[in-house]
Amino acid sequence: MKEWSLNRRAVVKALLLGSAAPWVMNSRAFASSCDDHIVRLAGIYAPDTMNPFATWSSFRPFVYTYDFLVNVDAQRHPDRKGFAKEWFVADDNLTWTFKIWPGMKWSDGQPATARDAAFTYNYLLGSIGKPDELNVGQSSTEGMQDVESVKALDDETLQIVTKVPTRWPIDNYVVMVPEHIWKDISYADARGTFRNDPPLVGTGPMIVAEFQQGQFIRFTPNPNFRKGRPATAGMILYLFNTADPIAQGLKSGSLDYGLSLTAAQWADLSKDSGIVVGQQRIEQRNYLAFNTASGQGTGRTKALQDPAFRDAIGYAIDQKVIIDRAMRGHADPGVGIVMPAAADYYSDLSDIRRHFDLTEAGRRLDAAGYRDTNGDGVREDKQGNSFQLDLITGTASGTLEMPIAAVQLIAGWLGQIGIPVSVTQLDSGALIARTASPAKGGGGWDLLVAGTWLSPMPHDLLGLGSSKQIGSGNTSYWTNDKFDGLLSEADRTVDPNKSKELVDQATRLIYTEAPYIMLCYPFFLEAYRKDCFEGWGTQDAISAWGSFPLDRLRSI
Amino acid sequence: MSQHIGRILFRAFVTLLMVTTLNFILFRVIPGDPSALLLSGARISVTPEQIEAQRQSWGLDRPLFPDQVVDYLSATLRGDFGYSFKFRGRHVVDLILERLPATIALVGLAQLIAIVCGVMLGLYAGWRRGGAVDHVATGASLALYSTPSFWVAMILVVIFSTALGWLPGYGAYSPGANSLLDYLRHLALPVTAVALGLIGQYVVVARAAMSDVVSEDYMVTARAKGLTNGQMLMRHAFRNAMLPVVTLITLNLGYVVAGAITVEAVFAWPGVGGLTVEALNARDYPVLQGIFLLLGASIVVANLMADLAYGLLDPRVR
Repeated sequence: MKEWSLNRRAVVKALLLGSAAPWVMNSRAFASSCDDHIVRLAGIYAPDTMNPFATWSSFRPFVYTYDFLVNVDAQRHPDRKGFAKEWFVADDNLTWTFKIWPGMKWSDGQPATARDAAFTYNYLLGSIGKPDELNVGQSSTEGMQDVESVKALDDETLQIVTKVPTRWPIDNYVVMVPEHIWKDISYADARGTFRNDPPLVGTGPMIVAEFQQGQFIRFTPNPNFRKGRPATAGMILYLFNTADPIAQGLKSGSLDYGLSLTAAQWADLSKDSGIVVGQQRIEQRNYLAFNTASGQGTGRTKALQDPAFRDAIGYAIDQKVIIDRAMRGHADPGVGIVMPAAADYYSDLSDIRRHFDLTEAGRRLDAAGYRDTNGDGVREDKQGNSFQLDLITGTASGTLEMPIAAVQLIAGWLGQIGIPVSVTQLDSGALIARTASPAKGGGGWDLLVAGTWLSPMPHDLLGLGSSKQIGSGNTSYWTNDKFDGLLSEADRTVDPNKSKELVDQATRLIYTEAPYIMLCYPFFLEAYRKDCFEGWGTQDAISAWGSFPLDRLRSI
Repeated sequence: MSQHIGRILFRAFVTLLMVTTLNFILFRVIPGDPSALLLSGARISVTPEQIEAQRQSWGLDRPLFPDQVVDYLSATLRGDFGYSFKFRGRHVVDLILERLPATIALVGLAQLIAIVCGVMLGLYAGWRRGGAVDHVATGASLALYSTPSFWVAMILVVIFSTALGWLPGYGAYSPGANSLLDYLRHLALPVTAVALGLIGQYVVVARAAMSDVVSEDYMVTARAKGLTNGQMLMRHAFRNAMLPVVTLITLNLGYVVAGAITVEAVFAWPGVGGLTVEALNARDYPVLQGIFLLLGASIVVANLMADLAYGLLDPRVR
């Protein structure tokens, strides 16, 4: 009897298990975007707060929720305007007038007018010089020292008057915030502890409704968006530390769009017929920098100070091979400090461009006085000392991988021309500490392979050579009065043509002096599924600078 | 016995004091400036003045000794762990408490499964040395023990999430969903990945302990006295074999609050392990100090429990 009861129990268990099997086999673990019409995006992001005055880490959620007054996308694409519908500068090059979209509303239904824009800028202006100056976040006082006044002439007209000619009024990254939400927030709180918890109030197409740190950000469509409520039911931005779950999510169908993919994942996803892969040109530059402060005792040899030495090294770098082998084809070849993504300012410098030729590199080194006089295969500097260069690099630049293969190739080429190189790979914190200004304890290196992604504005394009940015943007510590003068003039120029001319002059100057050798301009690798939504961009599926195309995606 | 407990408690107190002090030094010797790191994500050129302004607002421009260290120690002793650099405006305690439940659910459940399965299997394999179960369990355990848990995690994702679509491959719950079932579905793969590695560890230790015990003289004597297998196992073998196993369990329990960094990374699990990585990448000293103090305290408590358990299991220790 006992034996039978056991068997009977086993049979019942088996039946229960069997009945659950079809459910398990047929049920998907995740909701489908095709069913709920919610767009699911993913990337390597780590937003820390929803307060735009306190952080630079939440750029993505901010561009979906808030508008810039103008910004990059609005200047490149007529159908991607921000808070301002149109703008112009007076003949004095100081008075800027912005026409705000008529009848625009915040997501909570309140009118969004020029007065809100004036409040946002005056809020920042008022903090200048105070202990809690708002100068650490995306909405920052940086550049506002040139602003004389900001005022709303009426609900639809904003006027910004600057002290000197500058393109700052259209080139800044201040997001427009509603006065009725922010008017009572103190500077101390805005700079620090105010978290601006969701639901946010903005004028962008998708509004942050829920922020789960380290997990996801959920957005709801803005019912008052100026072009009409977006057609999708909302959006979820998943936040990851690595690209693996992004690639897996795209394959399984739990994600609609992913970026920050590696070349291997991109290649794998490109074989999936339900997925479209793409590569965005962005403002990233990967470069080799020389420690030009080496004469001050921070590097191994004074040769690094010599433009002729650096120029000769430029002939020993094969950008094409770096792209083919280290970047798997996902980059443009490096030339000057301006990248192709900044199309208005880019030049391929064909008339002065170096080409890969190890013999030529050796010849130029000989001519400059860096010869191997004792026949040991290693060149000596002008002081007669043979030297080995310390090359440092990181594992990543922002969200982009920094392939060690590129560094190994460089070390190999330099070894072939008699300059031995030792390579050290550091984490981002250690790399920043080592590349800090010599006055702050940095500089204990000779060569640096790193990358940077800033805006395509002249000030940021030329920042690599700015003496004011030694220890932050200028990692080679190179200084040049003429270059600083050109940069300063570019900062004070409103005319786009004049601006291009100045950038071109500065680009040629720094190319010739060669404190940096540009290796490549990497692409941002992305992929999207084509089964649930249509309306993705053709050149960039999703803009790196704005809310496109989340305002116009439609369910299939 | 009370003297024994007193000694243990004193040792624990001194250890915690040392951990608190070391926490301050440990993270500041790692090269990297939190203000420069946090501003490194900016899309505009950041000036050295902006970096310095941020350093000042966090008090990092003041001398390490005595200013910063005295402030830190006095605040910590008052129970004030400060505010996070990276997660602006968040108190360190709130941040850790927010992530702790997910970590305890993940590592705690995995430990529980691993202890029950691993210890039972290990003890049985040791008791039946040379049998089929012993061979299979030992081989499988060594393989699991030596396989990195993040690799097991990735394999599980590829099979059960990407290919079959049965279980979610990332996150702790679906946005908008608020059900226990949804949470358990998200928990299934991470728990399995952590538990598989731990099971291997428990089987290896429990089997070795039981193998030692069964060859002891008192076991031969017990058999000679005519005790049955069950009586020998329960009265003599089990209790003695549990001594090293208890040590391992208590030490592992101490790590429950630390999370499983690699597995959490694979599954984007919002636990303390992930928070540690984020804080380390940003050189968020207050958060790192808080996490490592918690970890230190939990290991001290686990050791305390091990010492007390030893006293109960083995009277000679008293």
